[in-house]
Amino acid sequence: MQVNVINSADPVQVSLAGRVDTTNAAQFQNSLDFIIKGNQKDVQIDCAGLDYTSSQGLRVFLMLQKAVQSRGGKMVLTNMQTQVKEVFDITGFSNIIRII
Amino acid sequence: MDKRYDPISGKSGAIIEDVMNTPEVLAFPENLRFKIRLCVEEVVENVVSYAYDAGAGYMKVETSFDDGVWEIRFEDAGTPFNPLAKEDPDITLPAEERPIGGLGIFLCKQMMDSLEYIHADGCNRFTMTKKID
Repeated sequence: MQVNVINSADPVQVSLAGRVDTTNAAQFQNSLDFIIKGNQKDVQIDCAGLDYTSSQGLRVFLMLQKAVQSRGGKMVLTNMQTQVKEVFDITGFSNIIRII
Repeated sequence: MDKRYDPISGKSGAIIEDVMNTPEVLAFPENLRFKIRLCVEEVVENVVSYAYDAGAGYMKVETSFDDGVWEIRFEDAGTPFNPLAKEDPDITLPAEERPIGGLGIFLCKQMMDSLEYIHADGCNRFTMTKKID
């Protein structure tokens, strides 16, 4: 799993690659903690390279959404693979997180 | 596949890869492999997190593929825990009201065809099946 930070200031731009699972979810969260604890308003996450996420990864996406939303910002996930999108659909995350 | 992991602590990744590398699962289409990986991870994660103090016990994993039905059976001797007893999350809530976590077994319910839990002979036994078209 790779988290590439393209821009850490507003608007945040990040791209993800690989699998987020039980073996690396803590590392995934740590890599994105600067957004959860930061003050940036707009966050763009390119998910083209994200091959897989379990519920462990969903936790982190929800933390990000809550954090950004609470400070009046917007998060958007782009280029999500079909099967990853299905995980977001099944759990209702597609309704609370903007995916384009 | 019929394998015992003892102790289970630190074996999550190995268990998932062992299941994914069984001959029948290797032959399944990619979208089905994705679902199997996810459901196996969610169950293993549950057992690793809740069944034993400090992950000190074992987990047994058996798989079979007969008459077009793929089946996986998990067994541990930890604290009795029925993951199916938990109420499904309310997936219609807005983000600010959604709790963090609690989606793992819900995903299994949606992606597999059947889930069964029994506690017998001092063991938790959890079985999932998926019909393969």
